[in-house]
Amino acid sequence: MTEALFILVVVIVTALAFDFTNGFHDTGNAMATSIATGALKPKAAVALSAILNLVGAFLSIEVALTVSNKVVSIQDSSGVPIEALMGTPILTIVFAGLVGGILWNLTTWLLGLPSSSSHALFGGLIGSAIASLGLSGVKWDGVITSILIPAFFAPLVAGLVAGIGTWTVYRLVAKIPESRRDAGFRWGQIGSASLVSLAHGTNDAQKTMGVITLALIAYGSWTDTHAIPFWVKAACAFAIAAGTYIGGWRVIRTLGKGLVEIHSPQGMAAETASAAIILSSSHLGMALSTTHVATGSILGSGVGKRGAEVRWGVAGRMVVAWVTTLPAAAIVGALCWYLASVIGGAVGIGVVFAILVAAAAWMFSRSRRTAINPNNVNAEWEGGLAVTEQQDAAQETAKVPAGAERN
Amino acid sequence: MDIVMKTVNALWQVIAVGLLLGAGLPALFSLGMRSLERGRVPAPAGVTTASADGTVASTSGKIGAGICFAVTILAVLFGIVVIIFGKQLFH
Repeated sequence: MTEALFILVVVIVTALAFDFTNGFHDTGNAMATSIATGALKPKAAVALSAILNLVGAFLSIEVALTVSNKVVSIQDSSGVPIEALMGTPILTIVFAGLVGGILWNLTTWLLGLPSSSSHALFGGLIGSAIASLGLSGVKWDGVITSILIPAFFAPLVAGLVAGIGTWTVYRLVAKIPESRRDAGFRWGQIGSASLVSLAHGTNDAQKTMGVITLALIAYGSWTDTHAIPFWVKAACAFAIAAGTYIGGWRVIRTLGKGLVEIHSPQGMAAETASAAIILSSSHLGMALSTTHVATGSILGSGVGKRGAEVRWGVAGRMVVAWVTTLPAAAIVGALCWYLASVIGGAVGIGVVFAILVAAAAWMFSRSRRTAINPNNVNAEWEGGLAVTEQQDAAQETAKVPAGAERN
Repeated sequence: MDIVMKTVNALWQVIAVGLLLGAGLPALFSLGMRSLERGRVPAPAGVTTASADGTVASTSGKIGAGICFAVTILAVLFGIVVIIFGKQLFH
């Protein structure tokens, strides 16, 4: 195996690993509310979401080769790598960026905080681009228009729409007995959450497909900028679906139980708002992050229901994570690029990859200390993500029916 | 200034569509639920599908609900079309 081929293989594996973290990090965006209200059993919810992500990824007909073009100058307008970076240089930049994105995704997952996977990826790429090309390697106006401004408005817009939706829904169904009301809205929740899952599969898997195709072009084994190899599509689809099925239970718990005590009508209002905003925004010139929209919608559904408790402290921690995402992933991306370049060649890439595997294993072992799983994901929120042993035992014996509180 | 104008322009459209579909569809769904509720009648003898309070939805209630739910489902199907063919449709 030549050195360049080794690097290509490592980049592809890393890209698929990123796709996998993208899947489990974002399961909660679609399914947290359905799990919290009991509309779907936890395992059924992640299975449904995984299938829809898989289908969504296969349905994507867009070639997202130029997605990185918005923020870094490593390709020309058609998506082909700049001549000077052809081969190993661009593969190293992309690789370091992916590592930055994965490590930040794992960190926020460990903390149980939803954060945008796209921002993590862009952050990593920005860091490695600065490290290799200097500040001019980054398109700063693109960073402002396609990352910072959308990140600021996404939760506000979603919160507004979901808040108004929730308020209206509760006005309309006030006289319906709770049992019949919740039974109906659970169906609405499942439908709207499914739509969010499908859109997620199409949107997010596309980004990884674009990255892998870019790597193949850089290596020289693919030249078409208007199509992607079928195996790339299939591999990305299965990676994101597998990630979704694993279920980021920590993030699901924070979104479903941590922010707001959520009931079926709120859940439906929140997910419908998310679906409408995600779908419309990407076609109206301001693509908004699924994570930011979903979180804003859930918060809005808490604000829109009279008497509902909204834990602003938890929301505050999320905002901190969002603001940190880009610079944190960028720093990791830059460090990885330096390390890979200083050592050089396949060995450099291999060393960074080994560090990635070690860091991921360490974070996984840390997560076992406060393990969140399908059995305890819905335990009462008592000041934090961690579920106490007593709660764990209680969850095992008696499942508290969701939505028992009266409006 | 260009950035501001573009942002404002995209933003109001997203909010408008968001309110129309994102808040409107749950409201429509609620109207359907209300329609099922309105004029609930005591279940005839032998009907086993009645609710706990022994009532079933009236025919007119079911028709109204059916219309509301059908429009909701159509909107969801439209959403799927947008997911798949959005770029061709809107760009």
